[in-house]
Amino acid sequence: MYKVVIGLEVHCQLKTNSKNFSPAPNEFTEAHNINVAAVDLGLPGILPIANKEAVKKALFTSMALHCDLPDEIIFDRKNYYYPDLPKGYQITQNTKPVGVNGYLDVIVNGKVKRVTLHDVHLEEDTASLEHYPKYSLIDYNRSGTPLLEIVTNPCIESADEAVAYLEDLRDLFLFLGVSEAKSNYGQMRCDVNISLMKDTDTELGTKVEMKNINAFNNVRAAIEYEIKRQTEVLESGGKVIQETRRIAEDGKTYSMREKVDAVDYKYFIEPNIPSTPVTKELLDELKESLPELKGDRYLKYIDKYNMSEYDAGVLSKQRDVSDYFEEVLESGVDTTLAVNFVTTAILSTLNKLEINISELFITPKMLSEVIKLVSDNKLSMDAAKKLLYEAIDKKTDPVELVKKEGLSQINDEDKLLELITGIMDENQEVVRQYVEDGNMSAVNFFVGQTMKKSNRQANPNISREIISKELERRKNNGK
Amino acid sequence: MHILDKSLDEIHEALKSGEVTSKELLEESLKRAHASQDEINSFVTICDNAKVYDVEDNVLSGIPYACKDNLSTRGVLTTASSNILNNYVPVFDATCIKKLKRNKAVMMGKTVMDELGMGGTGTTGHTGVVKNPWDTSRMTAGSSAGSAAAVSAGIVPYALGTDTGDSIRKPAGYCGVVGFKPTYGLVSRFGLFAFASSLDHVGCLTRSVKDAAYVIDAIKGKDEADMTTFNSRNIQLVDNYTTDVKGKKLFYIKEIVEELKNSPNKEYYENFMKVVDYCKECGMEIVSESIDEVILRSLYPSYMAISCAEATSNNSNLTGIPFGNRQDGSTTEEIMFNTRTKGFSELIRRRFVIGSFILQKENQEKLFLNAQRIRRLVVDKMTELYKKYDGCIVPNSESIAPKFGEKNDALSDTYLLFAEHLAISNFGGFPSITIPSGEVDGMPVAVNISGPIKHDSDVINMAAALEEKIGFIPLNMRGDK
Amino acid sequence: MIEIEKLKDYANKLMFDMNEEEYKTLQDEFEVILKQMDLIGQIPDIDKVSPMTFPFPNEDVSLREDEVGDYLTVSEVLENTTHQVNDQVKVPRVVGGDE
Repeated sequence: MYKVVIGLEVHCQLKTNSKNFSPAPNEFTEAHNINVAAVDLGLPGILPIANKEAVKKALFTSMALHCDLPDEIIFDRKNYYYPDLPKGYQITQNTKPVGVNGYLDVIVNGKVKRVTLHDVHLEEDTASLEHYPKYSLIDYNRSGTPLLEIVTNPCIESADEAVAYLEDLRDLFLFLGVSEAKSNYGQMRCDVNISLMKDTDTELGTKVEMKNINAFNNVRAAIEYEIKRQTEVLESGGKVIQETRRIAEDGKTYSMREKVDAVDYKYFIEPNIPSTPVTKELLDELKESLPELKGDRYLKYIDKYNMSEYDAGVLSKQRDVSDYFEEVLESGVDTTLAVNFVTTAILSTLNKLEINISELFITPKMLSEVIKLVSDNKLSMDAAKKLLYEAIDKKTDPVELVKKEGLSQINDEDKLLELITGIMDENQEVVRQYVEDGNMSAVNFFVGQTMKKSNRQANPNISREIISKELERRKNNGK
Repeated sequence: MHILDKSLDEIHEALKSGEVTSKELLEESLKRAHASQDEINSFVTICDNAKVYDVEDNVLSGIPYACKDNLSTRGVLTTASSNILNNYVPVFDATCIKKLKRNKAVMMGKTVMDELGMGGTGTTGHTGVVKNPWDTSRMTAGSSAGSAAAVSAGIVPYALGTDTGDSIRKPAGYCGVVGFKPTYGLVSRFGLFAFASSLDHVGCLTRSVKDAAYVIDAIKGKDEADMTTFNSRNIQLVDNYTTDVKGKKLFYIKEIVEELKNSPNKEYYENFMKVVDYCKECGMEIVSESIDEVILRSLYPSYMAISCAEATSNNSNLTGIPFGNRQDGSTTEEIMFNTRTKGFSELIRRRFVIGSFILQKENQEKLFLNAQRIRRLVVDKMTELYKKYDGCIVPNSESIAPKFGEKNDALSDTYLLFAEHLAISNFGGFPSITIPSGEVDGMPVAVNISGPIKHDSDVINMAAALEEKIGFIPLNMRGDK
Repeated sequence: MIEIEKLKDYANKLMFDMNEEEYKTLQDEFEVILKQMDLIGQIPDIDKVSPMTFPFPNEDVSLREDEVGDYLTVSEVLENTTHQVNDQVKVPRVVGGDE
């Protein structure tokens, strides 16, 4: 058996209005070369102007990943020639990344795995190339997009761990609001380094690198395939070659190029971006706005609210849903009911309408009011859910609907008795069957009739009690 | 004498009084440019259709100027005198050009330079050698060669130049004009084709110190497009212009002046000492200060290391994709390779290899970082001296302009102290001005005055006071030339 | 002395070539600069000096507010190349690139 050693380098495009070093728009677009400033094209005479928001979001992410933060922001140049790199160098961070020595705790198959991070650095994306049989085309829209790279130590030991880490990292980006992290738009991309070693080995084996894998299931496939392939190579007495491979559609990996010697990127400090101090004020501001993260919320939901792992998982996964849920709780409503409503009625509506929770008509306050009606026994669960759907349909506050249409549950015993007496008078034969023949199904019949006559507003439990009492009374009277 | 030969103040007055029009000034300037082109070759492009402006209140309005060909000019060919950019037409203006346009200044041409700014002879531009208007068998030095020649020959009252080691000041001295490089960050570098970003400055070449004050006032200022610029509302060169410099304290660097003293031709030393006397006559104190000779001798290799390293990276964008003089190739890599092999001259390619070697991982500590350490030692020493003094004065060069063939751009072991002494002010970003100080063998010689950062006004004023004492007559004002 | 083969490799990595004579000149230049840099290395305590990147600290530096500003039109992007297809810059097929 071999020990698997995996390191991941994740590139994530940051969500900003403008690019990292130019004022061109940072947005995904189908039209070619429409979001390009002179800086992004590497024209002679250009100078990079660092984007404050990108720096803040980078620091924010580093902070959430428990990194040591730098005392100043400086950038470096990474020099190499490639057709998608118009300046001939990429502005990145080598001397002082925005974060070092961080970690992310990930739950893998019920256990906590701490993925330790080498560093987090802010850099710029390259232009994109489209390949045709005879030529390639360069589009500079992507050139200069702020990119955060998160580099783990070689501490990941399985495809499960790798994918769990990637999923949690994506959720973290979304939680922090720093990126949309859509892998189908290439907003989150992953380089995988993988090697195998014997348990008794002290040095890492020869590593294989797989670049720019977008979909997480491809990361899994690539890792699983490589483990199998490298194991076979080693078992048959062969040696793993240090190389770059790519994952193909058949789920197998294929060699792209062997690594000849390490490329020397000749890093040096970018002289056009003066050092900017990372002030205490800035750090305090960021710390203040740092939200409680997914993992912490998950544990809190289980420990404090006694939720099932499943519910805790669902409610902590997305920041907006989790925030919504917590706002509902803050109004003091019953936790179990809140969990029930959010995980069923609310989430299914979001799915059905394909909207975000922020776009949902029902605010946390509205939901709390409805939940209160249920816990005060004024409304059944069923009726409450129906009320919510109706409120969404009519775009009307559910409490208003209740007032206007009198949909509130009838709990008034006198009112119910009046209604029930009427129904029994109209159905003398069923009463007789109970009184004379002892037919107990008469109770259910009258509950059904009561609900029907009351437009399902009657409180079914109270109705049942009144019906039983009234039938007994008539039985005793008849004797 | 034509009005074009006068000071900016005087030309402005003539425009205002109607004695001359902007169109007439431009025509005279273009005529002179074309007439001298065969002989001195100052221009890559002469803008025969330049837009003229009516005179306004600001002094530069309606007056022609020339611009070094490494400043981006929208719609006007900008080559940096390199084959690799021989077809490049920028789509944006450099900030200094934008500001001059706003001042209604009239750009009449783009001047020849050493290729990509990397050279000090004026002989390496892709359109040929620039010759010294004083004596066409001599060089102008560079890299702002055409700008120095054009001002010296009277084609324009002023020209923009750029200065990484001494590229404005050296040719200014050899051509008998004023060359001023202000504090780093006073003038935006946006649109300057980068040579070595941490050393590059935009400045000007003029016929008088006051004219330099006008030009810099017009192009300076904090620029959103250049993070190294700073707010300079409190630096106003024209408003604070005075030749009353009584009580100012100057020093000269003893080791450099000693070397001049020991050179075979005593006239250079004598010229400098005469300027020292003038300083005293102006009411300034002047003494000599010593700087560790080991550090002075380290200037040249350190300058080479830093500038070549930054240059090789800065010019990595020149691949023929998506602009420039693209050569054929069957692969993209081949296109880049052929474009760069054919597009750069030999000197440039050698400098890039040196720069890249210096940046290699295994050499960085010993070469690049040690050069940056020398930079710190020199700048710290100067900053310490500037606490006691208002400025530093040194001979601009060890000789008059050399004849063609006497000097080339290959790295040499000789003339070490004088090879890069003006680069001290690039290392520290100090304001630094060169003014003519007289003649030797019928050719101009010059002195250079520098001061602490952001004290550009003091430097200008000390130079203005000396200019008055020296009474040098520019070439274009002389009947005999 | 640095071998010509090495210099050639360095040049090729910078995407150009030179002729033999040029490499010889370069070799001589390396002699000069390396000798001079050696002298710098011998300055006592030079390694204790902190390397200087910027001429002086800019106290007026501020990061750019995240707003969209001036940028180029498509025709400006393509102004300086004749090699274009469908508003993009055309090059021979790049092999081994990221698909």
